[in-house]
Amino acid sequence: MRTGFAVNSTAVNLVFALVLALPAAAQGPSYKGPRTADGKPNLAGIWQAMNAANWDLEGHAAGPGALAAMGAIGAVPPGLGVVDGGEIPYLPAAAAKKKENFANRLKLDPEVKCFMPGVPRATYMPYPFQIVQSQKTILFTYEYDSAERTIFMDNPGASPSDSWMGWSAGHWEGDALVVDVTGFNDETWFDRAGDFHSDALHVVERYTPLSPETLMYEATIEDKKVFSRPWKISMPLYRHVEKNAQLLEFKCVEFVEELMYGPLRKGR
Amino acid sequence: MKALYWLACVAAVISIPAAGQTPQKSSVPKNFTPPRTPDGKPDLQGVWTNVTLTPLERPAELKDKAVFTPAEADQYAKDLIQRNNADRRDGGAEADVGRAYNNFWYDRGTKVIPALRTSLIIDPPDGKIPGLTPEAQARVAAVADRRRLHPADGPEDRSLTERCIIWPTVGPPMLPGPYNNNYQIVQGPGYVMIVIEMIHDVRIIPTDGRPHLPSNIRQWAGDPRGHWEGNTLVVDTTNFSGKTSFRGSDENLHLVERFTRAGPDTILYEFAVDDPSSFTKPWGAQIPMAKMDGPLVEYACHEGNYGMSGILGGARADEKSKAEKGK
Repeated sequence: MRTGFAVNSTAVNLVFALVLALPAAAQGPSYKGPRTADGKPNLAGIWQAMNAANWDLEGHAAGPGALAAMGAIGAVPPGLGVVDGGEIPYLPAAAAKKKENFANRLKLDPEVKCFMPGVPRATYMPYPFQIVQSQKTILFTYEYDSAERTIFMDNPGASPSDSWMGWSAGHWEGDALVVDVTGFNDETWFDRAGDFHSDALHVVERYTPLSPETLMYEATIEDKKVFSRPWKISMPLYRHVEKNAQLLEFKCVEFVEELMYGPLRKGR
Repeated sequence: MKALYWLACVAAVISIPAAGQTPQKSSVPKNFTPPRTPDGKPDLQGVWTNVTLTPLERPAELKDKAVFTPAEADQYAKDLIQRNNADRRDGGAEADVGRAYNNFWYDRGTKVIPALRTSLIIDPPDGKIPGLTPEAQARVAAVADRRRLHPADGPEDRSLTERCIIWPTVGPPMLPGPYNNNYQIVQGPGYVMIVIEMIHDVRIIPTDGRPHLPSNIRQWAGDPRGHWEGNTLVVDTTNFSGKTSFRGSDENLHLVERFTRAGPDTILYEFAVDDPSSFTKPWGAQIPMAKMDGPLVEYACHEGNYGMSGILGGARADEKSKAEKGK
C-alpha cells in the first residue's frame, strides 16, 4: 500500500506529506512486536529490501545496462520508486551533476569500486544486512563489503570525523528506532542512477516494526548544498526467514582489482 | 567420512588448550564472576585491545626462557620500542624509506603481557610454531619464490593487508599488529559480534547451535560457530578459503578460540590451531585483551588505497628504466 508513491498530483502529495508528518504509530493499526529482555522493540534479524531502489530511487521503467556485454544480466530492473512525491528536489546545478554522474556511472559509482555504500544506500542494496541489538549499542552489519555501523543509543556526541558510513545516534520513539546520522563525507551515492549528496548530508532514519517479518524503513534526507528541501524515501524491509540465513562474506575488493589496477599490470 | 574426520579433529583440539597450559598457570581466575547479559550469558561486551609487545613466537635468543622477570620484561620492552622507533634517522637512506611511516602512525603498545611470558604461544611449551608438513613447506616455498620473482606484477602479488582484503587482526585467530588493535564486542540473543577496527570488518558468531556452512562454501575469515562452556565463549571456525594462509595454514585449518572474562577489564583470548596438512602438530596461544575507551572509528582502507597504484606504477617505471639502460 506504500508502493504507489510515484503518483504525481499536488493534492496527493500534500496528503502524503501530512500523513508522513505523523508518528509512525498513528499510521494504522498499531502492531506490537516482540520485545527485548529490557522491554525495547526487538528489531534483531537479517533483513533485506525487495525493490529496485539501488538502481534508481525514483520511479523508472526498465532500461539497458551500462555494459552491452552483460545483456539482460546487467539491465536495469523497473521500479515504482521510493521517493515521497516521486522526485528528488535537486538544486539546479546539482540536477546537472546527477545527469553527469549517470552518464559516467561506470567510472564514478562508488559501488562499482567496492567502496563503502553509505547511508541510506546500504539499506536497500541487493544484499541482506543484520541487526544485533544490545542495550546501549545496536550493530548494523551489511553483507556488501563487510560494511558496518554502530548505532549509539546513549548520546555519542558529535562525529569525530567524516566517514563513509556516518555517525549514528539512535533513540526510541514508541516502537520505532530513530537514527540520526551525520558526519558523512561526500563520496557515496544513493543509487546507480547517479543520485548523490555532499558532506552536508544529514539523514534521519526510522525503522518501525509492521509485522513479525517486516519493518517499515523511512529516511529523511537533508543536504542544503544539493537539495532545495528535505525529502524522504520509504520502503518495507523483509526478514530472511530461512532457518539457516546468515550473512556470507562479500569482500568485493578482489573483484575490482582488475578494474582499478589492471592497467598497471606488468605487460599491459 | 569427512564428518568423522572433523569430529576427530574437534575432539583432538578441544583437549589441547588444557594440555598446552601445563607449563604455564592458566590465567583464568576461578573467583571472578563475569557480568551477564539480559539473556543470562557471560557479558563480553565493550571495546577491547589486544595490543602487546610480546611476540607470537619466543625470540631465538631467549632460548629456554619461558617467562621474563619484571626487570627483564622492562628491558625487553625498552629495547623493542627503540628498535621499532620509526622516527630514528640513523640507518641511512634505505632505512629511512623503510621508516616512511613515522612513529605517529604506530600503536604497538608499551608493555609485554602481564603474565610476562616470552611468547604468546603457550603450546608447544617452547613457544614456537611447530614445523610445517612437507606439503606445506612446498606450498610456502612456492609462494616465496613467486614473491621474489614477481613482487609486483599485479595486485595479487601483494599481501592481503596491502590489498585491503583482510588483516591478521581479523584473523582468525585475531592477532595484534602494528596499529589499530581495537575491537568492539556486541552481544544479542543468539549472536556474538566482534567489530574489528582495522580496515573495518565484523566477525558474526552465531551461538544458536547451527551447523557449519557446507564444505563447498569457503570464506577468507572462515565460518565461525560459537557456544558457551561455563563462563567461556568457545568459537569453532572452519571453511577457510585457503587464500588466507595463516603462518602456512591451508583450507583445512580448524581453529578453536576461547574468550573468557578474566576480570572487570580483561578478556583472556586463547586459540588452538589444528591443520594436519600444514602443521606437524597442533599449537595454541594465549593473548589478554584489555578494556579501553571507545568508540571505534571507521577505517576505510581500500577506499584510500593509493599505495597500490603507487607500488604497481613504481614497479612498471622501474622495469622501463631498466629496459632503457639495457639498450
